[in-house]
Amino acid sequence: MKARLALGAVGVGLGLWGLWLLVDAVQVPALIRLPIWLGGAVFADDAFLVPLTVGIGWLVTRWSIGPDHHRTVGAVRTTLLYVGITTLIAIPLLLRQGKGVNPTVLPRDYLRDWLLLEATIIAAGVVVYVVQRSRFTFKRSRASSGDIGGR
Amino acid sequence: MKLPAPPTEKSFRSPLHHPRVATVIGRWLATAVVICFLTGLYSHFQQHTPGWLHIPSRPAELYRVTQGLHVLSGTIAVPLLVAKLWTVYPKLFAKLPWPPSRKALENVLERGSILVLVAAMALELFIGFLNTLQWYPWPFPFKETHYALAWIIVGALFVHLAVKLPLIRANWRRTSADRTAPAESLPPAITGLTRRGLFRTVAGAATLVGITSVGQSAPALGPIAVLAPRKPNVGPQGLPVNRTAEAAGVTAIDADWRFTVKGPQQLSYTLDDLRTLPQNRSDLPIACVEGWSQGARWEGIRIRDLLQLCGARADSRVRVVSMEKGGFYATSELPPEFAHDPLTLLALRLNGTELALDHGFPARIIAPNRPGVLQTKWVHRLEVIT
Ligand code: HEM
Repeated sequence: MKARLALGAVGVGLGLWGLWLLVDAVQVPALIRLPIWLGGAVFADDAFLVPLTVGIGWLVTRWSIGPDHHRTVGAVRTTLLYVGITTLIAIPLLLRQGKGVNPTVLPRDYLRDWLLLEATIIAAGVVVYVVQRSRFTFKRSRASSGDIGGR
Repeated sequence: MKLPAPPTEKSFRSPLHHPRVATVIGRWLATAVVICFLTGLYSHFQQHTPGWLHIPSRPAELYRVTQGLHVLSGTIAVPLLVAKLWTVYPKLFAKLPWPPSRKALENVLERGSILVLVAAMALELFIGFLNTLQWYPWPFPFKETHYALAWIIVGALFVHLAVKLPLIRANWRRTSADRTAPAESLPPAITGLTRRGLFRTVAGAATLVGITSVGQSAPALGPIAVLAPRKPNVGPQGLPVNRTAEAAGVTAIDADWRFTVKGPQQLSYTLDDLRTLPQNRSDLPIACVEGWSQGARWEGIRIRDLLQLCGARADSRVRVVSMEKGGFYATSELPPEFAHDPLTLLALRLNGTELALDHGFPARIIAPNRPGVLQTKWVHRLEVIT
């Protein structure tokens, strides 16, 4: 209990220090708009990003009940997740490309690179999917021929 | 028509919304945040050095590593934060405790601290990343806000750990809590979802994001840095630019341009004079606050040689004055350790040719272990302090 209280007190102290820094350094008109941005960040996560992942996860899990799907559901889920997270990070790059004054910022062709990246992720996902499937069919054919104990 | 009931904590049946999973992912996220905080503090103190602190000028590549790590671990924190929020998402729908009691109060405090933590962290990651693309769509100043939020995040993290300490301890002791998955959930044999699988997938996402962005600080991985806002070898003389001459309001120099040193003796040089002074070579990176960095070969005059020429003491502090008009970076200071370091140059040449205007022609500072913003460009005066 002592440890918890100490941790909590230190935490509150550090947080108040941060708050003081904010009040000290940021002008009032900006300061009063900061909570909107903080709230917006929470909203974007809890009302959009996470529900989206939960929703897609739910669909994938439902799909996994189908015949043999549980063998390959991992590849499907992982591929979707990797496509999602890399796209999330690519969005600002795609939106901003060519808009700044400094040509050494965002010097790549981000649209092309993003498409290449997603294509690579999906291709890798397909390879894993096919490998997992074929392994399964292979096992099943051996199992049904009485070769091994089967499962 | 009847609307479907809003979800409750029990609507989320995946066994992976489990405290144990949250603890493990939380540990990873906390590691990334702590790395961000410490490297961020280092960057802050480089630019706002308190009197009691002496930052050494070596290792020469230290700032390059710390700031590269800052942006890398900050970027990796994005998938980790999403994963963490995903595991604890059902808690968002837990009923508020009623009637008021000690437990209820604890619960409200706990949720309050989590709200602060999530809000500050999500905004910190967002503005941090956008800053690396030099995009500032918000109404508040980046640096001050980013700095203050960092303390708030760490404070809220402490409070969060205090609240969760029993759970964390239980996790270290590995109790049977491990096996209490909700009964209705589908077995992992069908969903293909095991904890280990989830950890592997999240670690994989973090690695993927890391590998596709670290190339802006590690030039060897530059070609595959498709999610990085910088390519370390793109720019005049093979080096990116942060502040262009145009943005700084600097144009080419006149014939009567002079470089002056204000010390015990006053020195004044034309550009040709500077070129006849003893030249030295330093291999030093430009390591930007925005995380990118690139090594380069610089040639010019050692600052300590200039100090000697004007009769200043070897442990002098030097103010560097740029031709840039106004702004935070128009002047910088070289603390004694940096002014005295033999690698610190008033550079005239970069990678074998005369400095490009965007790199600070006719003369700029280059010193080891410093953020790029302090490597002042378009220098026309040095002032010896004390
Ligand atoms: C929880 C996460 C983070 C924490 C605790 C944190 C903390 C800090 C701190 C304390 C500073 C020093 C500010 C100053 O000089 O006054 C800083 C600077 C910086 N951070 Fe972060 N940061 C985080 C995430 C990020 C992310 C995700 C990025 C970008 C991808 C980022 C990019 C930067 C940049 C570019 C600077 C340099 C600012 C400047 O000096 O102009 N940070 N950070």
